[in-house]
Amino acid sequence: MKLFRVLFLALLAGFLSVPPANAAAEGEDLDPIHHSADGYYLDFMPIGKVELPRLFLVRRADGSLGFDAYGSTASALHSHEYVPEAGHGAEDDAHGETADEGHGEEAGIEALIASGLHLDAHLVPADGGHVIIDFSVTRHLVFAILGALLVILIFTSLARRYARGIGRETAPKGVFQNLFETLVLFVRDEIARPNLGEKHYRKFLPYLLTAFFFILICNLLGLVPFGATATSNLMITAVLATTTFILTQVNGSKDHWMHVLWPPGVPTFVKPILIPVEIMGLFTKPIALAIRLFANLTAGHLVILSLIGLIFSFGKIFGPGVGYGVAPVSIAFSLFIYLLELLVSFIQAYIFTMLSALFIGMAVAEHDHHHDEAHDDHHHAALHPAEHAASAQPIIGNGAEQPQPVAVA
Amino acid sequence: MSITLAASLLNPNFGLVIWITIVFVLLLVVLRRFAWGPITKALEEREQTIDASIQRAEQALAEAKQIQADNEKARREAEQEAQRLLREAREEVERLRNDEVQKTRDQIQQMRTQAQAEIEREKQSALEELRTEVADLAIQAAEKILTENLDGDRQRKLVQGFIDDLPKN
Repeated sequence: MKLFRVLFLALLAGFLSVPPANAAAEGEDLDPIHHSADGYYLDFMPIGKVELPRLFLVRRADGSLGFDAYGSTASALHSHEYVPEAGHGAEDDAHGETADEGHGEEAGIEALIASGLHLDAHLVPADGGHVIIDFSVTRHLVFAILGALLVILIFTSLARRYARGIGRETAPKGVFQNLFETLVLFVRDEIARPNLGEKHYRKFLPYLLTAFFFILICNLLGLVPFGATATSNLMITAVLATTTFILTQVNGSKDHWMHVLWPPGVPTFVKPILIPVEIMGLFTKPIALAIRLFANLTAGHLVILSLIGLIFSFGKIFGPGVGYGVAPVSIAFSLFIYLLELLVSFIQAYIFTMLSALFIGMAVAEHDHHHDEAHDDHHHAALHPAEHAASAQPIIGNGAEQPQPVAVA
Repeated sequence: MSITLAASLLNPNFGLVIWITIVFVLLLVVLRRFAWGPITKALEEREQTIDASIQRAEQALAEAKQIQADNEKARREAEQEAQRLLREAREEVERLRNDEVQKTRDQIQQMRTQAQAEIEREKQSALEELRTEVADLAIQAAEKILTENLDGDRQRKLVQGFIDDLPKN
């Protein structure tokens, strides 16, 4: 307990100290978006930045496919194979650049690298080809891999404990095992079982556990000093949501497709209206999953960074004294939001897993149609979405009242 | 020089999508094989063990209660049996004593009756003897008198009439 408290305070102190120092070192305004967004470097400011490898699948000017790998953005620029893409309304600069071939270009790149802006540049092949897929390693990828490795480390060592017989024949021992066993049992007994039913839950439990702990660890890594939140990247949450979507559709029962393509319990003339709604519903669920996780994790960080940014805004507008004066208030508020973020990390991991289980559960469930149709009107009247989302056995023929996942967040 | 900045929250990045897909699928496979399998299996085993233990304990408790109840019943029965035996023994003793007393009484009664009868008989025979003796004495006395006055036969008749007139007892 004491260890955790010390660790937590250390992390907190580190986290709170980093952004201002960072901004100060760079001599720029604190840009919350910039700090929350993905990037091709690890930010260890004020110590420094570590550039990540750049990998490009390109179609070269001559039409052939190629794969270029560089150790860093700077080395990609130094190779002269890649140049920063010129921005909009930058024709004057571009004109100047083309006029200043060779040595001038080299100097421009050096200046760009020295300014640190090269890391934010959009690189394009210098020979006129174009990048098909940019496989470059980003900060969020690094932290996603780190999170995945942590999850593997935690749970393989946990599995080894059980293999040794601790927790299998005896009671679980120690903080580590008890903590994670509680979470595993929570996912199994509170998420998988009620939503999927005794018959199906075993099949999907590995996915739900993986999603829960991957999201949780990624969320928490975002709260660590120098950390980044992989789950605050829409691409990453989209992949997670897509996995749920695929699992839902692949395992959909006959009733599930029947429900989508020919909704029972409604008059035939309503079906043409309902079917498109149902089909849209299939896609809104994973989209909502992805956006909810992304938005929640991004929002918290943006709020913290904005509160920290207030110090510099006030400092700039009213002078350094006011900036220092605002600092305690800002820090107190960011501390509050930080704690909220800690809660949100758990809640969002839970909600993502819960809704995944619910969606899969709705798809795999087989219904007694006669029963459902007989009571359909009653269900329409009696169930509102919250109850619907909470019910372990969702009722078919109820498309218009699908749980609206956004509302849960 | 102005450049397009890559840092944006909603920047699509298909390379990242592919990377994350690989990472996540690998994570899923590795965890499924090396973590969730053993962990959930161990947890289920433990739960079954606990369930079985609870059931066994409940069974044992029920058995113990049954045995206790049986013992209690047996003890009560034994107690009742002992009391019954004791009561029976007492009754037996009482009965035997009463019988004995009765028998003794009967014997005494019988002995008394016998003695009375004996006494009666002795008395009767004594009276008979006495009567005979008296008659003889009277005759002798009368003979002595009548030898003086009468003859023997007439005197004897007189005496016999006298004796017959005597009360029998």
